[in-house]
Parts: sequence; structure tokens; C-alpha cells
Amino acid sequence: MRFVLYMAARELRASWRRLLVFFVCIAVGVGAIVAIRSVIQSVRHTFAGEARTLISADAIISSTRPIGEKLAATIDDRLKTAGAESIRSVELATMARAADKPGGRARMVELRAVEDGFPYYGVMKLANGVRYEHGLLRGFGVLVRPELLAQLAVAVGDALTIGSQRFTIRGVIESEPGRRLGAFSIGPRVFVDLADLPKTGLTGFGSRAMTQRLLRVPDAALDGLIVQLRKDFANEFARVRSYQATEDDIGEDFARAEDYLSLVGLVIVILGGIGVSSVTRVFVQQKMKSIAVLKCVGARSSQLLAVYVAQVAMLGLAGSLLGIGLARLAMRAIPSVLAGTTPGVDITYALTAPAVTQGLGIGLLVSLLFSLVPLLEVRHVKPSLLLRDEARSRKPDLTQVLVTLFVVAGLVALTVWQAGSLRVGLIVAAGFAGTALVLHVAGSLLIRAVVPLARSKSFAMRHAVLHLSRPGSQMRIVLLAVGLGSFFIIGVRSLQQNLIAEFRVNVTPDSPDMFLLDIQSDQVEGVRSVLARYQAAGAAPARLLPVLRARVVGVEGRELQLENFEDVRGRGSLAREYTVTYRPALEPNEKIVAGALWDATPSEAGEVSIEQGLSERFRIGVGDTIRFDVLGRTFAAKVTSVRFVEWADSRAGGFMFVFRPGLLEKAPHGLIGFLRGPADGDARARMQTELVAVAPNLSVIDGREILNAIKSVVDNVTLAVTVVGTLVLFSGLLILIGAVAMTKFRRVYEAAIFKTLGATRQLIATVLFLEYGLLGLLAGTIGAGGAIALTWGISRYALEIPFHPLVRLSAVGVAITSALVAVIGVLSSWEVLQHKPLATLRAE
Amino acid sequence: MIELRGVSKTVSSGGQPLTILHPLDLHVPNGQCLAIIGPSGSGKSTLLGLIAGLDSPSTGQITIAGHDITALGEDALAQLRGEKVGFVFQFFHLVPSLTALENIQVPMEIAGRRDAKLRAQALLDEVGLHDRGHHYPAQLSGGEQQRIAIARALANDPPLILADEPTGNLDSSNGRHILELLLQVKRARGVTLVMVTHDPSVAAIADAQLVLRDGRPVAAETTATGSRPA
Repeated sequence: MRFVLYMAARELRASWRRLLVFFVCIAVGVGAIVAIRSVIQSVRHTFAGEARTLISADAIISSTRPIGEKLAATIDDRLKTAGAESIRSVELATMARAADKPGGRARMVELRAVEDGFPYYGVMKLANGVRYEHGLLRGFGVLVRPELLAQLAVAVGDALTIGSQRFTIRGVIESEPGRRLGAFSIGPRVFVDLADLPKTGLTGFGSRAMTQRLLRVPDAALDGLIVQLRKDFANEFARVRSYQATEDDIGEDFARAEDYLSLVGLVIVILGGIGVSSVTRVFVQQKMKSIAVLKCVGARSSQLLAVYVAQVAMLGLAGSLLGIGLARLAMRAIPSVLAGTTPGVDITYALTAPAVTQGLGIGLLVSLLFSLVPLLEVRHVKPSLLLRDEARSRKPDLTQVLVTLFVVAGLVALTVWQAGSLRVGLIVAAGFAGTALVLHVAGSLLIRAVVPLARSKSFAMRHAVLHLSRPGSQMRIVLLAVGLGSFFIIGVRSLQQNLIAEFRVNVTPDSPDMFLLDIQSDQVEGVRSVLARYQAAGAAPARLLPVLRARVVGVEGRELQLENFEDVRGRGSLAREYTVTYRPALEPNEKIVAGALWDATPSEAGEVSIEQGLSERFRIGVGDTIRFDVLGRTFAAKVTSVRFVEWADSRAGGFMFVFRPGLLEKAPHGLIGFLRGPADGDARARMQTELVAVAPNLSVIDGREILNAIKSVVDNVTLAVTVVGTLVLFSGLLILIGAVAMTKFRRVYEAAIFKTLGATRQLIATVLFLEYGLLGLLAGTIGAGGAIALTWGISRYALEIPFHPLVRLSAVGVAITSALVAVIGVLSSWEVLQHKPLATLRAE
Repeated sequence: MIELRGVSKTVSSGGQPLTILHPLDLHVPNGQCLAIIGPSGSGKSTLLGLIAGLDSPSTGQITIAGHDITALGEDALAQLRGEKVGFVFQFFHLVPSLTALENIQVPMEIAGRRDAKLRAQALLDEVGLHDRGHHYPAQLSGGEQQRIAIARALANDPPLILADEPTGNLDSSNGRHILELLLQVKRARGVTLVMVTHDPSVAAIADAQLVLRDGRPVAAETTATGSRPA
């Protein structure tokens, strides 16, 4: 044992420089895993610990409809029994504009009206050290986010018009509790006093306000109260949720995100492992004589195997520690990168113990698993090698086969562990094996394709190709790693461009790019007259569609029988509130697939046409009867047709339920509008201001801003995946450097012979440049080919958008990969060019 | 000390069997110095490798210090080499990643000796290189490397030293010094010494000579007890 440890330490001392690439390979992957897991665990820890702050209460009751008196009385009764207290809050999206700037811009905002006592948990932080108190809101005061000040060119002390009411800006919100992380925001937050809300006219009929009751409940009574309220709400459109449920949800979401993202880190570690494997293979080849000497002086194969396994373990440990160091550095940079993405919550980003332990474990395991098979060669080194060189070609023995199977099983287990799911782990492992196989086959085919170049008249080209295709060349491994990296980067870039191209196509010159919500019936004329003034010549007039909000409260069908809303709730999304319309005919993006659409004559007998996906998902078909609740009134409608809706072309609105005219006209309802807004930005802003002036409760969604928002989301995702791709490519290049370093001894010898025979350094450099350039070209081709296949598959099947092969992007990707590999290949072979031939030949 | 009966070695060359050592009997008594001489390709090194258990014979039986080494497995052979045999090569074959002192320590560490470092230093003194222990092989001259190799061969006090052209890669002055060192060791420790050489002056100082040509002993020139089996 002493011998094994001594020898491992001595060997490491002598060869750590040559094995530098080994542990950098491990370090990059371990660093990625530790950083990803630590960041997510830090965020998760903070959020799970602050779940109360997130909903700013112990529990929250919410409803999209005003809570009726009877229900309110029940709630009050329950709260009293449980010893709980509550405050009311309302959230809604609306428009805000500067009150004293005629013609100024109007902006969509997310308004929250609260009572005194808000928030129960967490702190509302205001700018300039102003302390939050409800008095700031009382008497038509408003607190706003700083971005709204900039957008509307107003300051603290100025007035804002919200709905039909004037408010004074009394403070700027830095952060607020209860703001959901990652929730899609359609505008900056503003806070007003709940008591002032009715004056705005925004909570009247058709309002999309979300009414809330924030509860503070003694711990012991919380569970019982939640259970009781859930029973009370069985047939009501209200729901209750405790902070614990939020905590559980957050926990699950983060656990899933952590496991999936860590798989990316695992891919990088496994690439590192491939590097480790090739480095070890060449290392053992170079150590043959030393191994023979040690056997000659009495060392057993098992002892020597233990020496090298211990050495690999030490390197793996060192690489993992370096990776943890890298992760630590990355963590320092994170607060500034992620600043502002989690307002209201201070997250301390630090390495977490579980992440560090996992990183160390994976680094060690991957190092050992990938080096075990090449290290088995140690057993076959014969001490007689010292007396004469022997040909060493053997078929793998039983031990080697068994160890290989063990290694494969180990890697699959590792993937399953990292994925946190047997199914996902197996899929990823199979995917990785499949990708490796495809890349290997593609690499072999491409090598065959370039072999004819070995007959080239150019000496440099001939030898470049010979180097690539000779036995023992590291090119397949380099192709795999570099090809995978360029595949990630080119694939993501082309997917991004396809996506953005698709959005641009969707916004054709005559398609609507502005959407109006919540137009009241009595505001239609005013809205139409504003729109007419801004209508571009030749553009289609704005379309205003009647809409109502309805819930399904029962189904009497052949296959589905739902008695009441509680039954409907058991069917998941069928219980959500749907926006419905009525009209006499189909839209261009619709087609009847079952039954028949009504004729144009209105009828009071309820008839409804349902969307195909919904029909299939919930097994509701033609002839079934659905009961709906619209604003508290229940009525039944018979399904007379099933429609296919082309959602990708739903610019004129896509509806799950369309009713026959005649039944709903009498129910109070609002309208929504689709129009092509003016091209000029100022005219767009003026039009929005004028619209809000005639219809204060109206909301305008500007398609251009949404498009920009989507574009920025796509850009962020692209950035994230590109960072991953770059790490993969970096690992690939490390493997390349390792491969070059490991075959250097042979290269130096060959170069010495060439130099003796008259080759200049320039000629040798040209051979190297062509060899690595060709290798990069092949890797880039594999990456670009894979990227095109990936983009095609995702465009065609996942996103269902047209596919455009991006030839220029692919060509640039291939060229950059080729140049990068050529430059790195030549630079890492610098020693080959510098060695003096005589010294080299003497040493041999 | 060494007993060979009908030992031969046949290898495969280009798919054809090639006998590089024809069946041979040999007896080397304790404390004797035997020189194996012959031209290149005569089978000298092969014979030495077989005696050291570095390779296994195609036929015959080899007994070293009473142990039939042809019946031993790889690990048992390695153990026997560690205890009973010291080997000196033409090309020194020191482990390049270890210092001179560590190279000498290795066989003792393998054998599990606790005093490896102390004894290695003593051996370093014995071969006249007491101040070169921290140098790596690449920092030593050929003569110095061979001295280290001899010290390593003596590490576990083996009764048998095998030397394959120990002076073949050295200039004449260094070669002479190495030879003197080997003889001194033999006298002082009473070990059996088997040397392969093609230098007649080296062979001349041996107690007995075994001459090989084309894998066969040449009887007329052989003074040792080596012979073709009847």
C-alpha cells in the first residue's frame, strides 16, 4: 500500500504538466455542475424560506369575480373561528397616463389596490429611503415603479390618470413583496389605496380584476382553515392557497430545473471524460517502459494498476477542486448578471454543500470510470519489453469486456442520478450514446471522403490527410467533442433565427399589430371614431369583437357527465375561465371538422361550436350539452359543431367556444379590437392616449412591444444556450489540445526525420495547419449538419413553423470552427516546430 | 543457483514460427560469474530474459535458487524477481519520473521494507554517487545512470545479478568502472553474476563463458556447463 501511494504521488509530481488537460477537462464540467446547482439551490433556499413573503400572507383567497356577500360572510365567519385576520387587495391590468400632459403617452400598468396593513410579510421598499406606510396611498396617492416615471416623463409629485381618476405620485417602488418571480409582466406595477379604486371606474362590469383576501392565520389553525375554505369554495369561482403550497410548488419547480440544467453540466463532464480517456490511453502508451521496469524489479500488475488508479483519483480530485474554485468565481459574477430579476427578494449566491459534494463525486467518478479501461492495459505490459520491442496487438480479454460494461452501467447510473429521474436519465443516456454513435459514423464517413486527398500533389496536403487517417489518431474523439460544441452553437443560432423570422412573417404589413381589451358597449362609437382617424390609407378597418367571460359548470354528454362545477374542477383546465364570442360565420383560420355551423339567423336556443383540441381532450362532441356560467347566470348550449382552429394564424382571435348569435347579445358584455396601428411611433402613442381618453378602462396591447418582449426572451434563452455551447466547444478544444499534447512525442520524432530530409519549419507548419484545418472543417460540417437536422426537427414538429435552412450561418459556423481548430492545433504543436532534429533523434 | 533443462524459445514472425533459442541445458553454481557471449541475434538477451523470468520459455524447465520458475504465475514471478534477482540493462532503464534515490528505493518499497530510504542512501554511497540522489535520470551521465541501476539491482540483496550488456552503452573508461563495480559487488556479497556481452575483454574476466550462435551454444568455445541436451 505504501508503495502504491508513494509511486502515485511521485508519478503525479512528474507528469502533472502532461496531464494538465486531464484535470482542466474535469474542472470545466464540475465547475458547470457546481455553479448551476449552487445558483438554483441558493435561489430555491431563499424563496422556499420566504414563501410567506412571496404571497405576503399565510394564505391567500383569490377570485376573478367580485366575492359575493354570502360568500364574504362565510369567509368572515371562518376567519373569526380560526382567529385569523385579513386584508383585501385587487389586482388588474389597465392604462395609466400623465394627467397634466395633453397628448402624452399612455402605458399599460399592473395595478394593485391594497388596504391598510399590507403587507403581512416582507417589506415594501421605496426609493430615497422613504418608509412605506398606507398613508402614502390614502386620498388618491399612487406609488409607481421607476420605469413608469421614465416612460411617461413624470416625477414624484406629478399626477397620473388611471381609469377616470386622477392620482398623485407619492413614491417610487424599489421592491415589493408578493411579486411573483418570472411571472409574465405586461407593464410596470403601481399601488393605490383599495378605497380609491371604485372611483377609477375600473372595477365595474366586465372588469378583469383579480380580487384577493390576504390572510394572517395562527399556525395551528392554518391547515384546518384551508381545508374548510376549500370545501366552502367547492362550487364557487374562488380558490385558496397557503404559503406551504407555494413552498412545495417552488421546491418542485426548482428541483426539476436544477436536475435538467445539471444534465447540461453532466454532458460537459462526460466530454471531459472522453478527453480523460484519450489522455490516459496515450499516457499508458508512453509509460510502457517504466511499467516494464517496475515489473522487472518485482511490482505486480495489480500494484501498478492501483498506482495509476490512485494517480487518476488524485487528478480527478484536483480537477474537481479546481472546478469548485471556478464555480466560486462564477458565483461572484452572478449577482451583477442576475440583478433585478428577483425584485423584493435578496438572494445570497453561495456555493452550497450538496452542490460541492455532488461536483466532487461526479468529478472523481467520471475520472475513474473513463480511465479504467485504458488503464487495464497496464496488466498486459510484459517486462520482456525491456529486452526487445514486441508487437502489442491483442483482442480485449474478458476482464476488459466486463470492466467496459461496468463503466457503461456506471455512466448510465450517473446520468440517472443527475437527472433525478430514471426515465429522463435513461433517455439522456440513450440520446448521448446515439449522438456519439452518429458523430462517430459521420466522422468515419467524412474521413473516407477526404482520403483521396492523400494522393494530392501537394506534400503538405498529402501528409496532413495521412496524419488524420492513420491508426491511433485522436481525430475521432476530437471530431466528437468539437463537433458537438459547434452543433450546440450553430443549432441554437439557427433555431433563434428561424423563430425570429417566423415572428416577422406573422407581422405582415396588413396584419393587426394592436389589440384593444375591455371596450364597453357604450364606448364603441367613441373608440371607432378615434381608430378611423388613425387608420392608414388602404389598411383594413379595425375589427371589434364581442367577448364574454364564461366558465363551464356542467356537461351532459355521451361520454362525459359533469354534474356541477366541482366535477368540472376535477377535469383540470376545463374549469378555467374562457373568453367566448358569438358570430354568424367562421373566420378564415377555422374549419368545421364535425357537425355543421348554424346559418346567419340569430336564435335564442343555445348553440355552441367547440374547438377540436378541447373536444378531443375532454371527450365532448356534437350533440352534447354544456352548461355555462356567465356573470353568475347559468345557461345551457348544445354543441352543434367542432372547429379546427389554425392557432398559428390566430391574429383575428382564436376562441375555444363560439356561440350562435341570438343568445348572448342581451347579456352585458364588452368588446375587444384588432387593428393595424399607425407605423409612426408618435402617432401610435397619441392614438393610445386618445383611446384611453374616450374609454378610460380600456387596455391597449401593442403587438410591437410584445414582439420585442418575445424577442428579448428568445435572445436570453439563446444567450444561455450559447454559453452552454461555448463551454462544450471549449471542452472540445481542450480535448484537441490534450490530443495534440499526447501525440506530440511521435510528432516531434517525425518532424525531426522530415527536417533531416530537408523539410523547412514552414513546410511542417503548413502540414500541421492543413491537418487541423481539415479536422476543424470536418467537425464543423458534422456540427452544422446536426444543427440543420435539429432545427428542421424542432421547427417542423415542436414549433410547427416553416423551416429555412440557414446556409450562410452554417457556412460561417463551419469556417469559424475550422479556423479555431487549425490555430489551436498549430499553436499547441509549437514544440514540434521548435525542436532541433539531432537532439530528438539522439534521444530516440 | 541456476538450472536450465531443455529450455527453448520460439516466437511467431510474420505468421511463421521462428526459434530464437534452441533447447539448452545450463548449470550455474552459486557465486559463479558467467558471461554469455555471441553476435547480435544469437539469443543472448532472450536467454537472460528467460533466466530472470521476464519471459516464459516455449519448452523446458528453469530453476532459480531452488524455485521452478516455469511453474510460476506472473505475480509470483514478479515477487521472485523482487527477492532473488537484480537486473542491470544496457540502456539502464531507470524510471525517468523518479529521482536516483527513488529509483533505488522502489524494489524495497515493493517488497514492503520499512528502511527503504536509509538503505537506498547506503547503496548510493556504495556505488559512489552519495550526492546525486536527488537528480533525475536525465540529469545524470550514462555511467552514473548505470551505477544507479546497479544499486537498484542490489536493493533487496538478491543472490543473483543478471546484467544485459552492462557496458554496451558506455565509453571504455566508464565501461571499465562499471565492470569493476560489478566484480567488486560479486566478491563482497558472494552473488552469482550472469552477464551478457559481446566484448571479449569483459567476457575474459568471467569464471565461465557460454557462447551462443544462432540460438545454439557453440561447444568448442563454451567453458561453462552449458550444452545442448542429449
